[in-house]
Amino acid sequence: MWGKGILNGMRITMRNMLRGPITVKYPYEKIELPERARWAVTPTYNEDGMPKCTACMACIRACPDHILDLEVTTREDKSKHIEHYSYELGACMMCGLCVEACPFDAIEMGHDYELALTSPDELTIDLLADVDAASVKRARPAAEPKPEEPKPEEPKPEEPEEAAE
Amino acid sequence: MSAVLSAILPVLAAVALMLVNGVVLIYMLRKVLGHLHLRLGPMHVGPKGIVQTTADVLKLLSKEDITPNGVDRWMYVLAPVVVFVPSLMAYAAIPFSETLRITRLDTGLLYTFAVLSLVPLGVIMAGWASANKYSLIGALRAAAQQVAYEVPLLLSVIPVVMIVGSLDLGEIVAFQTGVWMGVVPRWFIIPLLPSFAIFLISALCELNQTPFDMSEAESELVAGFATEYSSMKFGLIFLSEFSNSFVISALAVTLFFGGWTLPFVPEEILTPIAPLIFVLKTYIGIFVFMWIRGTLPRVRIDQLMNLGWKWLIPASLAWIMLVGVVVKLTAPGGVS
Repeated sequence: MWGKGILNGMRITMRNMLRGPITVKYPYEKIELPERARWAVTPTYNEDGMPKCTACMACIRACPDHILDLEVTTREDKSKHIEHYSYELGACMMCGLCVEACPFDAIEMGHDYELALTSPDELTIDLLADVDAASVKRARPAAEPKPEEPKPEEPKPEEPEEAAE
Repeated sequence: MSAVLSAILPVLAAVALMLVNGVVLIYMLRKVLGHLHLRLGPMHVGPKGIVQTTADVLKLLSKEDITPNGVDRWMYVLAPVVVFVPSLMAYAAIPFSETLRITRLDTGLLYTFAVLSLVPLGVIMAGWASANKYSLIGALRAAAQQVAYEVPLLLSVIPVVMIVGSLDLGEIVAFQTGVWMGVVPRWFIIPLLPSFAIFLISALCELNQTPFDMSEAESELVAGFATEYSSMKFGLIFLSEFSNSFVISALAVTLFFGGWTLPFVPEEILTPIAPLIFVLKTYIGIFVFMWIRGTLPRVRIDQLMNLGWKWLIPASLAWIMLVGVVVKLTAPGGVS
């Protein structure tokens, strides 16, 4: 303790000093998050800017905290209209089960980690509001005229069919 | 008039040096400790945080000066002064170069140690007057530790004095100029390494530096004897601590590392930059103190007392005897 330990400690601190600081000066510089980092849930969109969400309610059922809420109206032609898709950020534990449950990859765990807000009321976020839900049937004919581009998306419409059945 | 001026100016210079040294050392301490711990230290105020200490000093000056109820008012006010004044006095004998020093004292070494040993008195006063249990514990620890370690500190420099035959710090430095056998600098660190080791340990203890900072012990005693002090009273205590680091490091440089001299450098080059070399060496010494501070944990009070009384004092006595015999045997006109 009095001899070798002290020298070893001194060696380690000197090595640290020569190594230079590892601090990331956070507000000025930010580190890139790993690809699978899980932060707030965010909806994803198609190229045409419409949400991928089909209002299938899988995420709502999967959420262990019951913080997702999807209000939807079904029109006469069976197409769905999302009134609001709300998300209570303050209660979310970022478990990612909703994303796992979504058959359409219509939501993902975002990489926005600066989630501080000034008022508790802002913690309930409308992810989607007053927007038409994507339809599997509508997506399929669209895929046929342009077979090259949407090809990577093709498996997606098929999967939900299986899931639906 | 000029006599008065020439008496006052060096003192003012010492005060200025002390203040500047305090500001520089606080910045250096925070930076060095930061980097030792893989951190950055202050970064925001000014480039690389260089004005941080200035801002801290301004903050300290503009703070409310609180005198708590129940303190022994006279002692409470007097204690920072008693801590500060000896620290200032200690600069008197330190030789920054052949000519640059406040005063030339034949008993410079003795004087410096004598003055520095007044600091614990102020610490005890501060702790007692604060009417606070943490302060009192800190003060009692300071009394126990600083008084105990004064003994090995003094004993550790006796070999140097025996070899040089003088207590004048300037002569001690002059003795260390030149080299042995063409390569080895004639610094006392080489023949008197055990002395230096004892000096270093005791000096850390005298300075209340980690690993011997029991009298402050932030994690146990808030700030020890300085707990109840605020504003510039605290500033004085703080300043005196940093100034003591400088003085002790300067003493170490003077006694063991050849003071303002450098080996292999001809005198005509050395003379103009001598004070710079001295200050540089001193700051390297302070860096070593900070390095130790950033590394070692605080020892227990019983370990500290064991180390002081059971090891350092016997060891330094034995070493003094050994050096004494060698000096007597090799001295011209001695037994040979």
